[in-house]
Amino acid sequence: MAEELMNEVDELEELEEDDSQKGMFMTFRIGDECYGIAINYVNEIIGTQAITAVPEVEDYIKGLINIRGKIIPVIDVKIRFKQEPFEYMDRTCIIVIDVKDTMVGLIVEQIADVITIDEKDIIPPPSLNQNSYGRDKYVTGLVRVADEVKLLLDPEKLIRDEDPNALE
Amino acid sequence: MAEDFNTDSMLDMFLYESEQLLGDLQNTVLEKKDEDSFDETSINEIFRVMHTIKGSSGIMMYENITKVSHKLEDVFYYLREAHPDNVPHLELVDHVLDVADFITGELDKIKEGETPDGDETKIVDDIDKFLKRIKSGIEEKGEELPPENTYVEPSQFYIAPTGSESYKYYKASIYYRSDTQMCNIRAYTAVYSLKEITDDMEYMPDDIISNEDSGAIILEDGFHMLIKCQCSSDDILNAIGDTSGMERVEINDCTQQEFEMGFHDHGQEPIVIEMDDKNKEESGKKEEKKEPAPGDYVIKNKETGKGKKLAKNHPKASPKQSYISVNVEKMDALMDMIGELVISEAVVLQNPDLKVAGLDLTNFQKAAGQLSKITTELQDVIMSMRMMPLTNTFQKMNRIVFDVSRKLGKDIELEVIGENTEVDKNIIEHISDPLMHLIRNSVDHGIEEKEDRIAAGKNPRGKITLEAKNEGGKVYIIVRDDGKGLNREVLYNKAKNNGLIGNRPMSDFTDKEIYQFITYAGFSTKEQVTEYSGRGVGMDVVVKNIQAIGGKLEIDSMEGAGSEMIMKIPLTLAIINGIVMQVGNSTFVIETNAVKEFVRINKDTIVREPDGEEYVMLRGECYPFIRLNEMYHLPGSNSDIEEGIVVVLEHENKYVCVFIDQLIAEQEIVVKPIPSYIKKVQGLSGCTQLGDGSIALILDIAGLIAGQERS
Repeated sequence: MAEELMNEVDELEELEEDDSQKGMFMTFRIGDECYGIAINYVNEIIGTQAITAVPEVEDYIKGLINIRGKIIPVIDVKIRFKQEPFEYMDRTCIIVIDVKDTMVGLIVEQIADVITIDEKDIIPPPSLNQNSYGRDKYVTGLVRVADEVKLLLDPEKLIRDEDPNALE
Repeated sequence: MAEDFNTDSMLDMFLYESEQLLGDLQNTVLEKKDEDSFDETSINEIFRVMHTIKGSSGIMMYENITKVSHKLEDVFYYLREAHPDNVPHLELVDHVLDVADFITGELDKIKEGETPDGDETKIVDDIDKFLKRIKSGIEEKGEELPPENTYVEPSQFYIAPTGSESYKYYKASIYYRSDTQMCNIRAYTAVYSLKEITDDMEYMPDDIISNEDSGAIILEDGFHMLIKCQCSSDDILNAIGDTSGMERVEINDCTQQEFEMGFHDHGQEPIVIEMDDKNKEESGKKEEKKEPAPGDYVIKNKETGKGKKLAKNHPKASPKQSYISVNVEKMDALMDMIGELVISEAVVLQNPDLKVAGLDLTNFQKAAGQLSKITTELQDVIMSMRMMPLTNTFQKMNRIVFDVSRKLGKDIELEVIGENTEVDKNIIEHISDPLMHLIRNSVDHGIEEKEDRIAAGKNPRGKITLEAKNEGGKVYIIVRDDGKGLNREVLYNKAKNNGLIGNRPMSDFTDKEIYQFITYAGFSTKEQVTEYSGRGVGMDVVVKNIQAIGGKLEIDSMEGAGSEMIMKIPLTLAIINGIVMQVGNSTFVIETNAVKEFVRINKDTIVREPDGEEYVMLRGECYPFIRLNEMYHLPGSNSDIEEGIVVVLEHENKYVCVFIDQLIAEQEIVVKPIPSYIKKVQGLSGCTQLGDGSIALILDIAGLIAGQERS
């Protein structure tokens, strides 16, 4: 009985959390662009730390880090976007996201801000080729904030391998 | 598993309890299977188990389970009360096991979220016939049918009273609401809970267990009890209070005389007069029986009887250990936290700030020493929490030997040694299947037919020994049989004919190597495939399963005298002794057990094939040679053979040499999986956290060798 009650409370809290987080995005910079990721995926943000390289994996997977005893993989988002690699500095951050129980760290050049976006301001990314849309596209929508266009990312596609079976 | 059907705690409890009870039941039965009959303790035990399952499955509305357990309960009720001596014991054992299997099957269905829809009629009918047969057997012999209404022997349930002799006597009546079902069961529940606090009691109708109709009588007339106890009427009320469906309870004081007279004295009361003829007759019968010495029984109980019973029950009543079940995830989380704690400790104690010259650290060092001690102990405790005895696993084997040997018509005894040996929970889950297979093999292939045994001058009864022991950080689980043993030549020829060993002569192999042939895929010496073994898959799967948990299987045998299968299994999967080493900027760990030696070699001993493959010559032997830095394209490492170190690794008698930059340390490491997000890398089996918080990769020797063989 008590347990049920607790579960209910938990659920309630989660709901409230979801509500208050709706429309909030964590934004960060890679190269010249500003990207956003829905904040409910974000677990925490940590500074750079020693990364243990794992041999023979995709180049964007930089290796493993240790967060309080949990070992999680980190990927370099810039390399993931097939851009030139950048040098990690003290200011470089790792955004730890949790996508369907897969924890992954994202190395980004610079954390920008947390912004709230009204859902109706989000426009789908224009695509010339209708068929290619939705495949290998990390960007789910665009939004204009102040004078800048921000690209909203789908974290699931971001961390998933091109080969959809690879995760399995 | 419990999570699968969320938090239905009633159901969880029911499943958990029933499984435990069924486990106990099977043990009891199998323990006694070789005797002529069940003794009183085990009859009571089985009765109690069946009764509990009947009750709880009734509450959970699993009707078929209720019916089956009820039927078996009937049988044991009869055995307990009538002490018939013509019971075909093995048949009874079969019936009990059938029921246990049936209920286990139904419980499995419930667990899967299905409805338990197994058809119980056949089992019920079988048991019914069986019960009738033993009952009629007695009648034929002209013995008097035992009174079915003798009350449950209270002394079995006694809690030792506290010396005081100041007994009180009560008359209690329970009346149930008219829509209540199974009043007799409910009444029995009340009786059962009262047993805890009373010293003696009688109740009416007194055939509530055996007579289904008694429910209706109770419904109409109420359920009456005479109670002798040292507690107040409130206590009695409380004890009864747990039973549902009650309308009201009446408790009145009565005298000792009234109590000792029993119910027959209340014959003039309307309730008895209203009873139907059969019941009257029965209570009449009881009257006769009791009349000669109405008080005897009670007095006996108070004086000698009680002491005797308690002494008899004593071994069963050994102090119970109390357990709580904890979610494994929480355990793992705790283990992670403790791992973290150890690392944080190192960070604090080796903090560079402490290295400032001229600091007086005496007190700090003292405190630090204490802290280290506590964390070490904590680690030990959490490790021991994950350990479980092999008892349950071994008990399952009992059943297998019993089933298989009976089907094959062999007479086999199973001896179990060291079942209290503890191993990690994860490992227990993995050894059950291989062990089962080994046992089956021993029963089927190992032990000969009875005639052959007699001809060979052996005890016609075969013997299988199942032994577990701790040795050198490993657990040995040994299956030994005194059967015909393995035949070198037969095995060799078979392996040769199946093309498993090429054309190598028999002298090439040692005995043990030849015995290992039976673990090769596609090898089966049995000409005919039986239900239990001999499909030619099996032993190889067994070996694979054992290897999966880092163990190995050794086989030894003496022709004509038996064979011995030894599983050598690590105590725990989670912690291994590892050697930490460095290649370039990367740190790797190799399980210490796999390391044969470290050598420095010079260039001349390396042989290079044109396709790039390399070998190293060591003392005349040639081993495959892997440069980790080249294999994994690691930057910044040294490639000069003479500056690095060569590690010779062994896995299942296969060797490989690995070239590394330098050794760092040997230490205990906690194995963690590489996150599944990163796809499997050849030659890596996991990762671990080192003392400074950095991560090292664990090399998988089997993987390295396999990769080498493939190339």
